[in-house]
Amino acid sequence: MKLKRLAAVLLAGTMLFGATATVSAEEKAADEITIWAWDEAFNIKAANVAKEMYAETNPDVEVNVVTMAQDDIVAKLNTSLASGSYEGLPDIVLIEDYRIQGYLNAYPDEFAVLSDIASPDEFAEYKTGVNQVDGKMYGIPFDSGVAAVFYRTDYIEEAGYTAEDMQDLTWDKYIEIGQAVQEKTGKYMLTLDPSDLGQIRMMLQSAGAWYTDAEGNVTIKDNQALKDAINTYKKIVDSGISKQVADWDQFVGAFNSGEVASVPTGCWISPSVLGAEDQSGKWAVAPFPRMAENEASVNASSIGGAGWYVLKNVGHEDAAKAFLKDTFASNVDLMNQLAVDINLVSTLKASSEAENYNKGVEFYGGQEIFKDFAEWTNEVPAVNYGEDTYAIEDIMTEVVQAIVGGADVDETLEMYQTQIEGAVAN
Amino acid sequence: MTKKVLRTFQYIFLSICAFVSIFPFFWMIIAATNKSVDVTKGTLMPGSYFMENLKAVLSSDLQYTTAFKNSLIISVVTTILAMIVSSAAGYAFVIYRSKSRERVFNIILLSMMVPFAALMVPLFRLFSKFNSVPLLKTIALNTPGAVIVIGISTAFLIFFFRQNTESFPKELIEAARIDGVGELGIFFKIFMPTMKSTYAAAIIVTFMNSWNNYLWPLIALQSPERRTLPLVISAMGSSYTPDYGMMMTAVVLATVPTALIFFLMQKQFVAGMTGSVKG
Amino acid sequence: MSGNIKSKRSYSPKLNRKAWTFVLPGLALIILFVFYPMIQAFITSFQTGAGNQLTFNGLVNYKRLFNDLTFRKALTNTLLYLVIQVPIMIILALAISSMLNTKGLKAKGFFRTAIFLPCVTSLVAYSIIFKSLFATDGFVNALLMNLNIISEPIAWITHPVWAKVLIIIAITWRWTGYNMIFYLAGLQGIDDSIYEAAEIDGAGAWQKFKSITVPMLKPIILFTTINSTIGTLQLFDETMNITQGGPANATITISQYIYNILFKYSPDFGYAAAVSYVVVVLIVILSMIQMKVGDKND
Repeated sequence: MKLKRLAAVLLAGTMLFGATATVSAEEKAADEITIWAWDEAFNIKAANVAKEMYAETNPDVEVNVVTMAQDDIVAKLNTSLASGSYEGLPDIVLIEDYRIQGYLNAYPDEFAVLSDIASPDEFAEYKTGVNQVDGKMYGIPFDSGVAAVFYRTDYIEEAGYTAEDMQDLTWDKYIEIGQAVQEKTGKYMLTLDPSDLGQIRMMLQSAGAWYTDAEGNVTIKDNQALKDAINTYKKIVDSGISKQVADWDQFVGAFNSGEVASVPTGCWISPSVLGAEDQSGKWAVAPFPRMAENEASVNASSIGGAGWYVLKNVGHEDAAKAFLKDTFASNVDLMNQLAVDINLVSTLKASSEAENYNKGVEFYGGQEIFKDFAEWTNEVPAVNYGEDTYAIEDIMTEVVQAIVGGADVDETLEMYQTQIEGAVAN
Repeated sequence: MTKKVLRTFQYIFLSICAFVSIFPFFWMIIAATNKSVDVTKGTLMPGSYFMENLKAVLSSDLQYTTAFKNSLIISVVTTILAMIVSSAAGYAFVIYRSKSRERVFNIILLSMMVPFAALMVPLFRLFSKFNSVPLLKTIALNTPGAVIVIGISTAFLIFFFRQNTESFPKELIEAARIDGVGELGIFFKIFMPTMKSTYAAAIIVTFMNSWNNYLWPLIALQSPERRTLPLVISAMGSSYTPDYGMMMTAVVLATVPTALIFFLMQKQFVAGMTGSVKG
Repeated sequence: MSGNIKSKRSYSPKLNRKAWTFVLPGLALIILFVFYPMIQAFITSFQTGAGNQLTFNGLVNYKRLFNDLTFRKALTNTLLYLVIQVPIMIILALAISSMLNTKGLKAKGFFRTAIFLPCVTSLVAYSIIFKSLFATDGFVNALLMNLNIISEPIAWITHPVWAKVLIIIAITWRWTGYNMIFYLAGLQGIDDSIYEAAEIDGAGAWQKFKSITVPMLKPIILFTTINSTIGTLQLFDETMNITQGGPANATITISQYIYNILFKYSPDFGYAAAVSYVVVVLIVILSMIQMKVGDKND
């Protein structure tokens, strides 16, 4: 009998909070769409600006923008889609280029085809390699991850080089300059994080290559570009011009406090560079170095970047598509605005005509960086990242460490070919 | 003589432990008073940026104060219910020890052993059905109930209470039975007050676990206004350009409730407090 | 201790029913929210495919485990953490809590709170500070070099062996205070007069610790040992936040590997479930050994 009292206490406890809670499971209005993205200072701001612009012509559509960590989005999306439960899922979601093929393959009937609201030739070519399956387009490309060398003009000059020398760079020249910088200024040329193969990835893409081929087969051994990239990486490490860092904040901290002369990475790092206001006027941007020994390698590459996708079965496919069509798929005004607001380098080709793309930025000594970024974006070789980039890379860090430590390149790559094939086999 | 040496050694040892333990906490507070750029540069000096950071936290679109409230509700309710449900089970496994109950206990222990990540999808599928059952709406997805109900009964807590009940003086029970106190009465009026220090430890740990719980709330709570603190803090840290000053302010504020609970409860850890009731 | 409760007893049907009512609410919740999904996960472990494209495939996932070098690495790392870290932490926590329980020690409240603080310190904050303290040009190396303990800076985060040491330091730092709480609570159940009697017999601090504190705390020591074993075998936060499992998977744990299979790579729910069940089997075996050892001469 006393159990009843206990049960009553229990029930009352949950009821108390349930009572207020159940109200929230409200039905979404027909033209209410939800967007998930990460990074409050970048993607979220972009979504909010798009929302405002869209509201001017479509006041009856309600758009909810939700901030979430990227890992959290991935976890939630996977759990929900695998459970076949659409409750609480967004209509539009931002997905990283490296991951999207995995999603499209794992959940083939969950994403809406967007071929009717956009066409691949309106965007930078390299961005549309990953969001298509069987010739159908599933995503609207968003930010450019075009790679560049952000560098300190003062350090480079002190080392006896000019902005001219930074153009059309090869990695050999880059290392040469780095050694001079180190000698004259005592600063490192760049930071490297042994757990992050971003540099290798950028070198690979500069040669139009990847860890896998166009059919998704693992190509570790006999991959000339990979070999060249790892050799180049080893040369950088051996030359002693790199400072080792262990994570993102040490990476940012190193250039904010003036410890390194250059940052070779994606253009999205710009806001972090701008963070050190006292260094205004001391920075410039140059195209990404190419690997001289590799014929295919060009002075352009990419790292990171994402696109917008529509979840088909959540219930507002048409409204979500209509929203994307008028905003990220076509709106040059939006891109113009976002260049100022969040330093976005758009992958929409038309946006290079936008007013703000032709303005100099004082922090970078008046350089028209957006124009440069936009130009380089169109030169990035297209690569299909496949669906296993991260799985392969976790093992590749071992490979690179071994080779940097002195192991033979060909032997090591051959040895790991089978292991990686095994790891990505489903 | 040796006693003095021993005492000195104890002070030195504990001071070192205390220093090592406090330092990162101290750094976290320092970081909360500085600008993001200075945090990444590794400053150890208190700055004057706390109010700006605080404003940034409170005015963020991520609804920090709402999340704080949600976390508080979930953690308090979970802790209270867990103290009753889990301790009753742990208590019964010792006081009414029997072969069948011993077996049940061993099975319960087994439930501690599966990595939660593996249970997430099936659990989510189960919860997604609750919305259509009127009686279960209070624990349906996207309600605090969905998070609370998972934390009420854990093998960990049942195990903890079971192990502590071993040292509970059984004579007290016999005496109470003779006085005509019912079994529930014995549990609530005699066991609970006697085992204050056990409950104190359990409350600290349960509250803390619930407060920091990440994976399940992430999956179970959907709308932004339902989110708990760890989810909001995670979203803050998701930037390519993180504002470390603001983030550290957010995490410093988030530590206050757990620290407070510990501070209030630790008074129960005074030597010899329950000694008097033992025969 | 309390020898009488070990003896077999029979209860009147009424008392027996009451006893079950104490257990029932907790048991019901665990069956519904843990055992039901556990069975589902077990079924999934026999399925292969990405995302929701699952099909039954017999023992393929379990066979795959044997050739998976990353899994082997994760398993050895995890067991290494377990064997080295758990004993260190348990002994440290026991030592600290029994010191904090001695009479006449001043500033107990301060020490208790200070040593508990790592539990409250946010994971985000502590991973940032650990990485900067243990950076190659960081504070810890500078200190060790000034004390002439080392002549070359140690690459804590990027060297495969030192990174493991760093993880062990980090877990110990974060969880010692947590285990201390259980001991402090358990110590309140030991009567002061036992210590006093021992003192009259001339027992020193070590003797009192060895022949009173440890035997009296045995159930709690068993609890913390099993709990820490499970915690370590499911270790995730520390490696995820401090080393991301690197350098080159040198610090990866099983739980992190499961997470990677589920979310970082193309989602493979079947394989993740299979890996999880290996963990379950491991923990069950280890806990059974610990229970056996813990119950001996009880």
